[in-house]
Amino acid sequence: MKHLNQERLIEHHYGESSAAVKRHLEACGECARAYMALERDLAEVKVAESPARDGLYGELVWRSLSNSLPTYALRRPRWPVVWLWRGIACAAACVLLLGAFMAGRRWEQGRPAMTSMTLGKHDERTKQKIVLVVLGDHLDRSERLLVELKHADASNTDTVLPMQQEARSLLDANRLCRQSVTQIDDPALANALDHLGRVLSELANEPGELSGSTITRLQNEMNTDGLLFEVRVLRSRVPDPQPSGAIQPNGGAI
Amino acid sequence: MCQMGENDYTAIRAILCGDKEAYGALVVRHSQSLFRVAFRITGNEADAEEVVQEAFLRGYQKLVSFQSRSNFGTWIYRIAVRCALDRVGSRPGEDSGRTAHEPDFPPNGAQIADQAAGPERLLLSREIGDMQETAMHSLTAIERTAFVLRHMEGLTTDEIASALGIVPNAAKQTVFRAVQKLRSRLAALRANSHG
Repeated sequence: MKHLNQERLIEHHYGESSAAVKRHLEACGECARAYMALERDLAEVKVAESPARDGLYGELVWRSLSNSLPTYALRRPRWPVVWLWRGIACAAACVLLLGAFMAGRRWEQGRPAMTSMTLGKHDERTKQKIVLVVLGDHLDRSERLLVELKHADASNTDTVLPMQQEARSLLDANRLCRQSVTQIDDPALANALDHLGRVLSELANEPGELSGSTITRLQNEMNTDGLLFEVRVLRSRVPDPQPSGAIQPNGGAI
Repeated sequence: MCQMGENDYTAIRAILCGDKEAYGALVVRHSQSLFRVAFRITGNEADAEEVVQEAFLRGYQKLVSFQSRSNFGTWIYRIAVRCALDRVGSRPGEDSGRTAHEPDFPPNGAQIADQAAGPERLLLSREIGDMQETAMHSLTAIERTAFVLRHMEGLTTDEIASALGIVPNAAKQTVFRAVQKLRSRLAALRANSHG
């Protein structure tokens, strides 16, 4: 049997032991004697009785203290101030939220009208820009072709074939440009494109290879009609294409 | 304006609302218990009264941090215990690390014999009282306080731990050391007085 140590006995004396300790003390004489010795010693340590203090003692303590205690009254006005500031902050937040909400609503309401107007103008400008870019490019290429045609050697067939291929490519582009020009309402440009279209058509649609006689005839027509001059004048009216918006017509594709 | 009520909570609310006089009710209500424990720890009236005043002063200053869930009486009692412990610990010659085997208590047998001027019964009583006092002086401040709270105030280990600001196991060990020292010292004193 394992005996109880002094710590267990002290716990038991102060009522903080388990039932097992009590059972052990009942069964073990040695531990019971040790416990009795402990009780005897602790019994000698008398509970010190404090000197009596009458009913006025508390009053005396309070009287001696009251003058040195600060009042918590200073805290009172702080609460309204705190709440006032909190109220102001909340009100400001509400005003900001309401303002943001109203501004958002206004913006949303005004947005469709502005958008339609803006988009309309924007679309129109974009469309014109595309037409001008395509047209400028087309006129450039046409001018180069006409210059080549003007100076072409009718007897040298090596230079004829590339001109014919270029004419076929330009013919489709010219047709699309002509369609676009109808929306711009520019009669001079429309006539010039029609005239250019006829020349390109003759160049492109000549059966077989271009003959020397055909080239000579077209050169004479160009000189007579002043087609090259007309294309150059038109080209000068068309602003240079901008790199960002440039659309290179490849054949008939715009 | 907050009005002072009957219980401690009402009084505390009133104090925090600026009614300083409401604290008077708390002082009157708890002064006796604070004086009792302060006296038991410090061992003299003057110190105990100082402790009571200091405890109420500290309590008033910390009243904002007082948790309404706890009991004001228990709270101010713990403050008083700490104040008493501080006072005992700050006495000249007090050393919280002092061990039981360092005899710096007054010579016991001769002292008891010198006081033997009355009847035999009174002599015996005084002898026992002196022995106890001498034995108590062999304890460190915290051991004496823990023992007083356990043996005289009847606090549980958890309550002692809370009052001293230590963990329950440390409180239990402190009480255990105090009892061991007291028994050892009393045995020595008994042998000395009978010898």
